[in-house]
Amino acid sequence: MNPVLSVSGYTLDYVTSGGTHRALDDVSLAIAPGEVLGLVGESGSGKSSLVWSIMRHLPRNARELQGAIHLGDTDLRRATPKALLGIRGRRIGMVFQDPSTSLNPTLTLGRQLTEVLVRHRGFSKAAAWQEGIELLRRVELHQPEVLMRRYPHEVSGGEKQRVVIATAFGCRPELILFDEPTTALDVITGARILDLFRRLRAETGVAALYISHDLGLVSRIADRVAVMRRGKLVEEAAASTIFRAPAHEDTRRLVDAVPRPERRLVFDEPSGPVLLGARDIAVQYGRKTLFRPAPPPATRNVSLDVREGEILGVVGESGSGKSSIARALTGLAEFRGGIRLGKRPIAGVAQMDAAYRRAVQIVFQHPDTSLNPRQRVGEILGRPLRMFGGDAREIPRLLEQVRLPASYAGRWPHQLSGGEKQRVAIARAFAAKPALVICDEITAALDVSVQASIIDLLLALRAEHGTAYLFITHDLNLIRQIAHRIAVMRRGELVDLLAVDALQGESVHPYTRELIAASPTPVG
Amino acid sequence: MTEAFRRLLRTPQGALSIALLILLAAVCVAGPALAPYDPEQIDFLGRFSPPGALHWLGADQLGRDVLSRLLVGARSTVPLALLATLLGTLGGTVIGTVSAYLGGRWDEAIMRTIDAVMAVPGLLLALLLVSTLGNGSFNAAIAIAVAFAPGMARVTRSVALTVRNQDYVKAAIARGEGGGWIVFREMLPNVVAPVVIETTIRVAFAVMLFATLSFLGLGAQPPASEWGLMVSEARRYLHQAPWIIIAPSVAIGLTAIAFNLLGDGLRDALNPRDER
Repeated sequence: MNPVLSVSGYTLDYVTSGGTHRALDDVSLAIAPGEVLGLVGESGSGKSSLVWSIMRHLPRNARELQGAIHLGDTDLRRATPKALLGIRGRRIGMVFQDPSTSLNPTLTLGRQLTEVLVRHRGFSKAAAWQEGIELLRRVELHQPEVLMRRYPHEVSGGEKQRVVIATAFGCRPELILFDEPTTALDVITGARILDLFRRLRAETGVAALYISHDLGLVSRIADRVAVMRRGKLVEEAAASTIFRAPAHEDTRRLVDAVPRPERRLVFDEPSGPVLLGARDIAVQYGRKTLFRPAPPPATRNVSLDVREGEILGVVGESGSGKSSIARALTGLAEFRGGIRLGKRPIAGVAQMDAAYRRAVQIVFQHPDTSLNPRQRVGEILGRPLRMFGGDAREIPRLLEQVRLPASYAGRWPHQLSGGEKQRVAIARAFAAKPALVICDEITAALDVSVQASIIDLLLALRAEHGTAYLFITHDLNLIRQIAHRIAVMRRGELVDLLAVDALQGESVHPYTRELIAASPTPVG
Repeated sequence: MTEAFRRLLRTPQGALSIALLILLAAVCVAGPALAPYDPEQIDFLGRFSPPGALHWLGADQLGRDVLSRLLVGARSTVPLALLATLLGTLGGTVIGTVSAYLGGRWDEAIMRTIDAVMAVPGLLLALLLVSTLGNGSFNAAIAIAVAFAPGMARVTRSVALTVRNQDYVKAAIARGEGGGWIVFREMLPNVVAPVVIETTIRVAFAVMLFATLSFLGLGAQPPASEWGLMVSEARRYLHQAPWIIIAPSVAIGLTAIAFNLLGDGLRDALNPRDER
């Protein structure tokens, strides 16, 4: 059978002021009708370049050196701009990573959905509207008639992504490109989107190219998996075998980096006294004004404590109040309730003195915004050192601790990769010689393999300094590898707080069970 | 920064603006030395001489050499316009950043006050201030600065609000930094790039506003050869001797264009994303 998509010997360069950079190097792959090919690789490995080559939407500085891209019998490289208009959306559908930016915020969902149907399937407006409702029903959205008239900001992220998927399937394309469609969604929503993807695929038999940096996820939904590294395809194998028998060394690295709950990385049990106790923490953003009532509180009566040297995991969906806890504990948000640091009670933000702020440090989620772009690494680290009784001579030692060369002190943040920035942020936290470091989704923005090295670093630092961590994440598999106890949050409330071994037990909250079910463990 | 400057020179508008500004600076420094005549020397026989070999840009109603007045007058126009802009920018930037940092009710109070001030047109505000402070070039500069500050504060605040929410500012708050450090060391350096661009465009406005005030008799006083004053004095002879009014008008226009181009060029060159 002829493949739906075939790429053969395709090589792509980007010309920049610093010279040419090879993005894709002799890439060949084929997708048979009804097949799902998973494409895995780190950021910068060329996955996105391949997508844009297929969509024929390359930037100006791209140079295609050789190779061919065929969609069925159509040579995409030779297709005229006019022909491409009939191919994009009609014969190739696309689902992007972030549904909040792939929909136009000024148009209703119905308008965006029907526009595609009118354009590519020749429906009249009224017929397209009916078909749109039908499509939304097929992606399991409730009350599609109502949703059609809503604007993107009026629906949730998961609902938006369903609309995007409905649009992609709407024109019955031969091929759909999925570019990390669940990365921007939280765990349970993402799991439901994957279920939907499987069902639609079974119904329509469409071929798909599914891109992700998470080998674990891809192996569960693809038929075959291709692994990409620095523009080259290094391995291609059936999804069922790639985890059990990775042939290439890069694949093995990706396999190892996938968090597996059964592979514990922490073996000790903290037995020390309680380091930080929080009682009935409630965080409320915004106050009642003349024109609107106060918004509901971000967290309600959350109580938890961290022992010396303990790793306490906090998991939950976005909006569950995880970050609000971090903000309260670091004095970034006003809160009600009480905190105890050792024996000292802290009643509010005003009572958080230098000793408290030194003991409790925080590392943020986004490496790009957590370092001041106008300060060199040396300045970023020097300030907390001086504030908390060290001096600038310790900067090389700090950098070495986070496994960065001492010469990085002279660099600007934009000269660092995401993982390196996060290491600097960790070094900044450790400059204060803290007793507790709050890690607020610190690996969520990083590749799986970079995530593994950051976790490795945190555990090494803990072994050296005996630091406790409050580790906030949405990745249950990851936290089950390292945490001693896990707190599960939902809608601002703590629903479970139990030892990691008890997670599989009987006395678990139904929501926790749902979270576990939604966290895919890799096959094989 | 040097890299940004190199990039600025590479754009056509950037190169042109730098060339014009160097010319302007040279005139400000060496104007009196270059002037062929004493700018205040009255010559009744030479009144309304058209441009020619004797007077390259002609002579005015009192027989004073227009070119000499223009060259000497640059000193009393351009530096004061710059000073006015800098003062206004500085004040506005600090107000805007502090307002964004404080947030909440303080922010409301500051911004509503600024709204109230902005409801008065800039020129009117400047007129009001000059009439209170008294005539004169320096007072005119102060008035222009005060008229500019609210606008700058708004521009800065909108930028500073996004900076305020960046994690590095939160990190500074979490480690217990004081307001001064956060505003001046963490926030301001990140607010400056867009402000610099806005500033250069405002210099052009300041030159024209300053000329307008002098034109209305509230800035520089006769017999000074300030450009706006020259335009003002020459307007009665517009039909009789157009060269008297054209020369200073062109000078004002060129200065405004030079700073406008600089602003455009800087916007491209200062984009921190490309600063590699």
